[in-house]
Amino acid sequence: MIARTARLRWVGWIALLAVAIPAPLVLSELQLFTASRIVIFGLWATSLNLLLGQTGLVSFAHAAFFGVGAYSVGLITLHLGWPAVIGVPLSLLSGAVIAFLMGLVALRAVHLYFSMLTLAISQLLFVIVFTSYDITLGDNGIHGIELPAFLGETSQVYWFVIAVAGLGILALGLVWHSPFGAALQAIRDNRLRASFIGLHVRRYELAAFTLAGMFAALAGSLFTVVNKSAYPGLLDWTQGAVPIFIILIGGMYRFYGPLVGAVAYVVLEEIVTRETLYSNLVLGAIFLVIVLVAPTGITGIAERVTGRLARRGTRTAEAAPPASLAETLDNQLEPISRDIET
Amino acid sequence: MGIDDLVIQFLAGLTRAGLLFIVAAGLSLVFGAMRVINLAHGSLFMLGAFVASSVVAVAGGEYGLLPALVVSAIAAAAFGLLIELGVLRRLYGREHLLQLLATFAIVLIVGDLVRLVWGEENLSVTRPKALSGSVDVLGNPFPIYNLFIIGLALAVGGGLWLLMNRTSLGRDIRAAIVDPQMLGGVGVNVSRLFTGVFVLGSGLAGMAGAVAAGSGAVGLGMDVDILVQAFAVTIIGGLGSIPGTLVGACIIGLLDAFGILFVPRLALALIFLAMAIVLAVRPSGLFGLPERA
Repeated sequence: MIARTARLRWVGWIALLAVAIPAPLVLSELQLFTASRIVIFGLWATSLNLLLGQTGLVSFAHAAFFGVGAYSVGLITLHLGWPAVIGVPLSLLSGAVIAFLMGLVALRAVHLYFSMLTLAISQLLFVIVFTSYDITLGDNGIHGIELPAFLGETSQVYWFVIAVAGLGILALGLVWHSPFGAALQAIRDNRLRASFIGLHVRRYELAAFTLAGMFAALAGSLFTVVNKSAYPGLLDWTQGAVPIFIILIGGMYRFYGPLVGAVAYVVLEEIVTRETLYSNLVLGAIFLVIVLVAPTGITGIAERVTGRLARRGTRTAEAAPPASLAETLDNQLEPISRDIET
Repeated sequence: MGIDDLVIQFLAGLTRAGLLFIVAAGLSLVFGAMRVINLAHGSLFMLGAFVASSVVAVAGGEYGLLPALVVSAIAAAAFGLLIELGVLRRLYGREHLLQLLATFAIVLIVGDLVRLVWGEENLSVTRPKALSGSVDVLGNPFPIYNLFIIGLALAVGGGLWLLMNRTSLGRDIRAAIVDPQMLGGVGVNVSRLFTGVFVLGSGLAGMAGAVAAGSGAVGLGMDVDILVQAFAVTIIGGLGSIPGTLVGACIIGLLDAFGILFVPRLALALIFLAMAIVLAVRPSGLFGLPERA
């Protein structure tokens, strides 16, 4: 069973690449731009899901790391005159360093206080970027970043994004399915039990936080390569809700959930902003309905449907567990762990 | 810079603290009793401010803002009732994340609704006649309206203290802060209590919005601005603690006023720095109870 799902997984990813790589042959420039956005937001949300879906940490700082990546590209071109693409690998380093430092402080708190602390520190970062005119050009932002000759055409930029983001998603996938990833899930399901079986919980959380920040920064650097600009609005905490909603739409308990969510979110957003002046009203209403009616997201719904079909087909076939299983378990275990902790 | 300037700046800080206290007290109560972080609290504040601008436009500038305090509070409380019954009630016992996201969705919705109804222009509200003008403090003028804000905050604080410590409703709220399940077990209708707390918090936010309308421009974006500062206040003070909220409001208000005086570029950063430092040292805030699992 496990071997079969693993093989299926590889077939799925290869099929995805087979569609994504030749896309510039049929898509218009504008559509390619949209496709790049989907890939970048997919990487961004996937990195956050390492925290949200896998470790159970709700961080509002993910826009800050995206911004750190964006400014990694912007600042080296502005001050050092280096080629923009150097900023892309560099963003992994800057993202990791800042995430590690932020994690050191933020992970002192747990649950909601942790969330609020990430909000505070990321907003601090936003204010620093916003007010440091001599370094970041402040609220003007850095625009008109020049790209090297091999990224002269939109299709070349697109392939570059696919290649880098693909590697990033691959790396995150390896983490997700690794023993380290399993340990993170144990922490999500029950922090206390995880520490009882000998996991150093905070160290694991710090590692996850650093990894997530690193790849969020990578996504941010790609954003700047595509848009040729970096500005403080990217770091604002309200932006931090974007990857959270992407994950929610796609489903947080599957690795590929955020990618599905990114497609839905970007397409939805483009339609809504084109059709109405009041896009937040429409998007907010849609998010609200999703939260209330389908909190397991698209993959959750899809798996429930296919699971039911599979059960009907062959009685012996092992149906995929519903995505909400972990949630149900969580709710059942919560009172127990509360009793132990108090 | 003389001592008189410092005194004026101190009073300005207290004024800011007064407004922040009224907003943050509601946020803190809602969190304490319901364990819901209401991101839409700032939206209720903004709604209150815009409603106040309309009330003043209808009632005229002479007294307009005084009835507006009441009307804004009622409007925000009614909207809060809608949010609690329509959305939050369906999400109790679910993950915190879903509640957070639901209230964030409401932030988006209210922001656009306000734009739809009142437009994108900043509005200004005239202060009532009795509260305009200024008094003399050590030779410097200080607006009477600011004294009114400080007084109102004290009145709200006193009222909340009486409510929490001298009424049976307050006793139930305090019990809910400690253990809502047990409270339900002894026969209190907890879900009705939650609705009441949420409506009260919303009403305070709306009234604060009307107060703020009299001291500055009414505009889009004031929801997120106030939300972040109110969070800083409640988190520094400890979520769920009214005395903590008071202390937190004074810290943030004074930090804001003196920060602008001494390090204008970093004034905003100071607030978040204070919040990060307090939480790093005391993860539950100055007066907060440790987080329930």
